[in-house]
Amino acid sequence: MHASSSRRGSGLTLRRRERIAGVLFVLPDLLGLALFAFLPMLLALGIGFFTVDGFDSYRFIGMANYRRMVHDQLFLQSQRVTPEYVAALAPSLYLSGLGLALLVQRQSRLSGLLRTMFFMPQMVSLVVVAIIWQVLLVDKLGIVSQGLSLFSVANLSLLGDPRFALASLVVISVWFLMGFYMLIFLGGLQDIPREYYEAARMDGATPVKSLFYITLPLLKPTSFFVLLVSAVAAVAGSQAFDLVYVTTKGGPANSTSFAIYYIYQEAFQYSEFGYASAMATTLVVMLMAMTLLLFALTHGGRFEQGQ
Amino acid sequence: MRAEETLAGGTSICRRTIIAGATGALLTAPFIGRAHAASGPLTFWQPHAPGGPVPTQAAWFENTVQRWNKQNPEQINLVYVPNSEYMNGSKLQTAFASGEGPDLFIISPGDFLRYYNGGILQDLSPFIDAQAQADFPANVIATRRVGGKFFGVPMEVEPMAMYYSVEAFEKAGLNEHDVPQSWEALLELGRKLTSAKQYGLLFETTPGYYQNYTWYPFLWQGHGDIQASNKSVFNSPATIQALRFWQDAIKSGSAPRKPLGGGGWDIVPNLASGYCAIQNCGIWGIAALRGGAKDFRYGVFRLPVPPGGEYMTIGGGWAFVANARGRNPEAAASFCAWALASSKPDSVQRVIDWCTVAKSDMPPRNSAFVQGAKAFDTDFLKVFKDSIYPKARGEPRVPPPIYQAISQAIQACQLNGEDPAKQADLASQQIDGFLGTYSGAPIL
Repeated sequence: MHASSSRRGSGLTLRRRERIAGVLFVLPDLLGLALFAFLPMLLALGIGFFTVDGFDSYRFIGMANYRRMVHDQLFLQSQRVTPEYVAALAPSLYLSGLGLALLVQRQSRLSGLLRTMFFMPQMVSLVVVAIIWQVLLVDKLGIVSQGLSLFSVANLSLLGDPRFALASLVVISVWFLMGFYMLIFLGGLQDIPREYYEAARMDGATPVKSLFYITLPLLKPTSFFVLLVSAVAAVAGSQAFDLVYVTTKGGPANSTSFAIYYIYQEAFQYSEFGYASAMATTLVVMLMAMTLLLFALTHGGRFEQGQ
Repeated sequence: MRAEETLAGGTSICRRTIIAGATGALLTAPFIGRAHAASGPLTFWQPHAPGGPVPTQAAWFENTVQRWNKQNPEQINLVYVPNSEYMNGSKLQTAFASGEGPDLFIISPGDFLRYYNGGILQDLSPFIDAQAQADFPANVIATRRVGGKFFGVPMEVEPMAMYYSVEAFEKAGLNEHDVPQSWEALLELGRKLTSAKQYGLLFETTPGYYQNYTWYPFLWQGHGDIQASNKSVFNSPATIQALRFWQDAIKSGSAPRKPLGGGGWDIVPNLASGYCAIQNCGIWGIAALRGGAKDFRYGVFRLPVPPGGEYMTIGGGWAFVANARGRNPEAAASFCAWALASSKPDSVQRVIDWCTVAKSDMPPRNSAFVQGAKAFDTDFLKVFKDSIYPKARGEPRVPPPIYQAISQAIQACQLNGEDPAKQADLASQQIDGFLGTYSGAPIL
C-alpha cells in the first residue's frame, strides 16, 4: 500500500522524485558555475600552454610560460607583496570584525545605528571608496596629512612611498570590509547560548574570562570561516584589484603590485594572455593548497575530531 | 531500444559522443578565428566622441565623420570609450581577442608594435599620395612606418615642456628671466618654491607608458638611448644621470610622490590648483588650462639640460589606424587617408583644427604649419613651435617587455631610492634578454 502511494502519478518512487527535485533546484546554479567558473578555469588552464597575443594567434609552447615565471622579477615581486597583504589583512579583519561584533551585539537603538554605520562602506562602490581615500591621503593637503602634521609628522606620502603604500591599502581594505565580517561574527555570537554566560557570571567570571573561555572557543568555526574567506579575498577579492587600479597602479616601485593586478596588466595591457593565464592557474593552485591546508589543520573547520 | 542509440534519421550518436563533442567545441572555441558581420557601418573607437569630456574634441570627431558619411557609401559610426578604459582598460584588448575589434581606432607609438606584430594594422600607403606622404616629417612618421609603408596617420605631435605658475614665481620674487636652463638650476628652483602647501616641481610618478614617455627626453639629453642595432645601450652614464635627476627631485622633497587628478599629465589639478609651482607636462596643457583654468597665469619653458648635454624633447601623439581584419579594411584605410593625409586643403585644415581648436598640439604635417601659420603663431603655441618643438624626437616604439624594464628602473630609483647604476644595469640585462628573442617590426 505504501509503495503504491509513493509511486502515485509519475510511477517514480518518492526518494527518486525528491532526488530529481533536488537536482532541478541546484541545476541553475550548477549550470551558471559550469559556464562562468569551471569552463573559464579550464580554458585558462589550456591557454597557459600557449603564446597568445590577443589577435587570434595561438602557438603551443608547453611549459614555457611556467618557466618564465621563475625568472620574472615582477611576478616574483607580486608573490612577495601578496602574502604580505594577506598576512596583514586577514588578522586585521578578524580582529576588527570581532571587535565590532562584540561592540554592537546587544540589541539597542544605538547598536542598530552603529551596525548600519559600520556596514555602510560595503554599500559604496570600491572605486568611489578608493577615490575618497585618495583625496583623504593627498600629500601635504589631504586631511590625514594635515592631521599628522599636528603631531610633527610632516611630508609623509602614504600612497606614494613604498614604505607606507601597502599599509595604507590594508587600512582602506579593513575600513571597507570590516562591516561585512562584523555581520558574520554577529551571526556566530548569536549562536552561543546565553545560559553559558549566565552560568559563568554566577561563578564569578569576569567579561574578559567569558570572552576567552566561552566566546572565542565557541566561535572557532566562525573564526575559521572569517580567516579563510578574508585570506582568499586578500588574494583574489575585488578590493585587491580595484583599490590598486585606482590608487597606485601597482606602484610606487611595485610595492602594491598584487598578483591579481599583475596578471591583469600582463593580459590586458601587454596582450600576454597565455602568460597571464599561466600565472592565474598558478595562483588558483596556490589558493587551493592554502585552503586545503587550512581545512586539514582544522579538520574542516570543526577543530576537534568528532565534534 | 535504448534512447541514445539512434537520433533523428538513424544517425548513431551516443550521449558520450555528444558530451565529448560539446566539450571539444567549447575548449577549442577561443582558438578559432571569428568572422565579422559583413554588414553595418564601420566602427571607430576612440576616447573623444560622441559625448566625450572635451566638447571641442568631440565636435571635431563628429564633424569629420559626418562629412565622410555624407560623401561615401561606407558609413562610419563613432564609439566613445572613456579615456581611462581606452588607455589602461581591457575593452580594446578583449574586443580584438574575441575577433570583434573596431574597424578604426587610434594608437600611440607605444602601442604600435603590439598591433603591428599582431597583424592588425592595415597598410595605408596605397591610399596616401606621394605628395602627402612626403608632407609628414621623418621624425614624426618613423614610428608609424614599417618597410617604408604607412600603418598609421598621426593626428598630432605632443612635445613635452615645463609649465610654471606666474603667481608662484612672483611670490618668490622671480620672473620669466629666472626660468632654469640646467637640471641643477631646476632642482634648486624647485627647492626654493617648495612650501608647506606647495611642491616646487612635479614629474610623473605613476608607473605606466606615460611616465616612460616623459622620462625619455632626459635620457636623450645626455646622449643616452635604449637600444642600438638590436643590442641594449641602456646601461650608460646618460641613463644613470637621468634616473638620478628624478630621484633627487623626490629626495629633496621638492617634487611630490603622488600627483593630483589623473596624474602628472593633468595640469589643472596640479599646477593651476597651486599644488606645484612647476610641472613637466606636454603641449596639451595649453588647451587644458584654456578650458579648465582660464584666468590662471602661467609660462612655458624648454626642458633644462644636464651638464654637457644637448636640449631635446619628445614628440608623441595619437594616430588613426585601420583594422586589417575589420569589415572593410580598404574603406577604413581610405577614411584615415581622407581625414588626415590627403593633399587636399580640407584635409590639411582638419589637422590644423584638431591641433589649434580642438586641442593644442603641433601638427604632424609640414603643410599644416604653412596653411595654419596664423593659428600656430599665437600665444604659447608659438613658443612650442619656435623654441620647444624643433628639437623633438619621436616617441620610441618598444614592445612591452622593454617598456617594463625601463619602467621598473624609473620607479625603483625615483620612489624607492635605489642605486641608479644598479638599476640601469639590471634593466639593460632585461632588455638584452628580450632583444635576443624578439622578432617583429624594428624597435625604434
